[in-house]
Amino acid sequence: MALSTERLGLYNPNKPMENRLTDLGPRHFWQYFPPIIQKNYGKWKYHEILEPGILVHVAESGDKVFTVRCGGCRFMTVEHVREICDIADKHCDGYVRFTTRNNIEFMVDSQNKMEALKKDLNSRKHVSGSYKFPIGGTGAGLTNIVHTQGYIHCHTPATDASSMVKAVLDELFDYFQGMTFPAQVRISMACCLNMCGAVHCSDIALLGYHRKPPIVDNEVLDKVCEIPLVIAACPTAAISPTKTEDGKKSVKIKEERCMFCGNCYTMCMAVPLADKVGDCVTIMAGGKVSNRISPPKFSKVVVPGLPNNFPRYPEVCQSVKQILEAYAADANKYERIGDWAERIGWERFFEKTGLPFTEHLIDDYRLAYDTYRTSSQFKYTEASWNVSRAVGGIE
Amino acid sequence: MEDIKKAILEFAENNKKSKFYFADMEKGVRKVMPDVKAREVKKAATSLINEEKLIYYSTGSSTMYGLKGRGQTEDY
Amino acid sequence: MAFEPREEQKELKYKELRIYSDEELNNYTEEELKGFKIKHEIPVCEELEKGPWPSFVADAKREALHRRKLADDRMMIERDVVEDLLGQLEISFKEGETHWKHGGIVGVFGYGGGVIGRYSDLPDKFPSIAHFHTMRVNQPASKFYSSDYLRSICDLWEYRGSGMMNMHGSTGDIIFLGTFTEQLEPIFYELGHVLQQDLGGSGSNLRTPSCCIGRARCEWACYDTQDMCYELTHYYQDELHRPAFPYKFKFKFDGCPNCCVASIARADMSFIGTWRDKIQVDQKAVKAYTGGEIKPNAGAHAGKDWGAFDIQKEVIDLCPTRCMRMEDGRLEINDAECNRCMHCINVMPQALRPGKDTGVSILLGAKAPILEGAQMSLLTIPFMKVEPPYDNVKENVIEPVWDWWMEEGKNRERLGELIQRQGIQKLLEVLNIPPMPQMVKEPRSNPYIFWKEEDVPGGFKRSIEDYRSRHAR
Repeated sequence: MALSTERLGLYNPNKPMENRLTDLGPRHFWQYFPPIIQKNYGKWKYHEILEPGILVHVAESGDKVFTVRCGGCRFMTVEHVREICDIADKHCDGYVRFTTRNNIEFMVDSQNKMEALKKDLNSRKHVSGSYKFPIGGTGAGLTNIVHTQGYIHCHTPATDASSMVKAVLDELFDYFQGMTFPAQVRISMACCLNMCGAVHCSDIALLGYHRKPPIVDNEVLDKVCEIPLVIAACPTAAISPTKTEDGKKSVKIKEERCMFCGNCYTMCMAVPLADKVGDCVTIMAGGKVSNRISPPKFSKVVVPGLPNNFPRYPEVCQSVKQILEAYAADANKYERIGDWAERIGWERFFEKTGLPFTEHLIDDYRLAYDTYRTSSQFKYTEASWNVSRAVGGIE
Repeated sequence: MEDIKKAILEFAENNKKSKFYFADMEKGVRKVMPDVKAREVKKAATSLINEEKLIYYSTGSSTMYGLKGRGQTEDY
Repeated sequence: MAFEPREEQKELKYKELRIYSDEELNNYTEEELKGFKIKHEIPVCEELEKGPWPSFVADAKREALHRRKLADDRMMIERDVVEDLLGQLEISFKEGETHWKHGGIVGVFGYGGGVIGRYSDLPDKFPSIAHFHTMRVNQPASKFYSSDYLRSICDLWEYRGSGMMNMHGSTGDIIFLGTFTEQLEPIFYELGHVLQQDLGGSGSNLRTPSCCIGRARCEWACYDTQDMCYELTHYYQDELHRPAFPYKFKFKFDGCPNCCVASIARADMSFIGTWRDKIQVDQKAVKAYTGGEIKPNAGAHAGKDWGAFDIQKEVIDLCPTRCMRMEDGRLEINDAECNRCMHCINVMPQALRPGKDTGVSILLGAKAPILEGAQMSLLTIPFMKVEPPYDNVKENVIEPVWDWWMEEGKNRERLGELIQRQGIQKLLEVLNIPPMPQMVKEPRSNPYIFWKEEDVPGGFKRSIEDYRSRHAR
């Protein structure tokens, strides 16, 4: 059966329940495995990274599958996906795979095919010059940045996602195509603190952050929104019902309780919170999800708020580079950013990266005391001498 | 099942909010049918959805139920 | 070993399914694309065409040109949809503010998830994105595809939607980005009837489960992540489409403690592969590593000269439990003390492999920060054998946890927050399991134990007369 070209296809609006198929679930994965994957399923012996972006997996049978990993944009048009299909048809018998981090993986069963594939991928560029399929993202390097929707589709972003990822990866492109770090580096990006990207356990997390509470559009609020829903939407109970001077039903917001999540705006377009100057970018660092050597860790806030300087975010790129360059120069082999910071001490982290330590970086939310240092063990840095000087302890 | 559906509709009609969470609906039903199981309430609610008496209202992150035609109107 | 899908899978052949002809698909030249200007001025967006990383703007422009050159009746929504999206994006960059409104009631009939409503707040200026609803399409486990399937999806989505998508969204679905309300049901019908393909989850549902690459191409997968993901996704379709949970619920399946799908950070129920016997050691290969014949860490550090491989420094001294040593040129592991962190295996994949007696650890309760702060999953079940159809997991873990959460969870409360509110003690009761020290990093440092009456000999009820018989008022 071909795809329908009728305006409403197979759907009859007068009988919405007619022929309705539900609960089919996803298609089965087995049919999408290339023959070499089917044949050696569960029988892989070891793997090797031949060069950045190129992996070989060797099966017990001696079969080898070569994988070429390319960076992809999360945002893709059907034109791009069709080009991916063309490549898959030409080199990989029509099979292709995507990774959790928005990379594209092409697999072939011989070294020769892999070389031809590599050459083909490297030759494909957009007319304006960027690579379509940059090869890399493996081993002790930087892999693709996972991210959220931003201005492309979201109603509560505090920054844009696709553009920031593009800007940062342009700056860090050599790291994507190299394996020069002490360990792998995972950067993730979420455009507001709802974090539909769950970036909170990344080596570096880029986070859009609103800093101004919603504005209440009293004129229309009661007409376009349901007040009980708006009130219920607030996770901190900062919203309560009120009446305006001219007797209109509306809501008021206890500003000091607002955590800038935008849940109220989800329920009601009359409480917008986006703001050009208010919205900013927060950088967190030192998280990971792997259990390797040390347990998984949360990322910690290391830069409280940088301006949304579209479309290239120079301040964000600069801060990320400062972290990565200090890390690359100083960490031991196998140390993730968080492991490194813990070994040298966070005071040294700020000294080595050159990032300023401000009061915003000290926790003042619930359980904040757990993050306070309750020990006389510390290292001297300029920041500690500043305290000694300020209190008259030294000249 | 029919009595659960009736209890759901009564709860929905008498609710001052036009949209409500599943748990609140379940509590509403429990007031008249204390021993009802959550899964039975869900089955009844699904049946009312299919009969176009209830609607889903989703914020994307969480979902509520509502009485068709009440409050913000649906846009199928 | 091959797998039997739950239902027979229709074979999808693009040449039978296709909407567009080859001429339509190749309807513009590179030269035209170079000179192409969209209908809005977008200098800020166009800045993002520079630089080496793939430009989403460059990609969007070719879809815009492609749509320009399709005939009017070959698209069911406006042809300008890509151009208007870029136009609105340009304004967002200039103003530093988004122009999307949320739309709460759109969906396909009978499902409480899978569609996210979205409207532009500049519909007069950008009429073709006045509606811009998203559909989530449940991806096949671990995201392998055939070009037949992808091309068919592309034709469907270009014909009935914007032609813009995400490969993939954070949770794992294929995201169809932007269509009008009228086309939601037709797309759902085409997906189901023609492509035998369902939508994914959103709202207070089971969200689309996802898994790592597993046994398809990894030597470390300790259980069949794809099969378990597929089976549970199908088994719990009702929970995925018809919301009755207090909030979202996520399953993620990692084959080993490297956690490539980040289950421990993102899933309410994280399944992490592990083993309970000994790490498999090939002493000859260990020698090859120490002798410099094989590159350590599978060559992951090749970009920098880290010096000769030193097994003492790079493996034995970094082992978190110090359970390894070299003895007479052999690597000895005290497996009883190993906590299976994978470091030694990652460094020497040709010499070391996970054990053969494998299963999963189940951890509960991860979530992003709102409201009380981010949480990672808590180790709850140390080891469990998992074989299809996974009845032990369904009956003894998933369903008791859901029953508890549905009964006790507040609106918009994630499982991890419920565990925090009611305590691990309650979770033990729910799962009918004894406590174990592995559930905590350390025992409590405050002694405020809320003793229950039944814990204390004689209970709480005492007689004041009896007390007074010994103590004057």
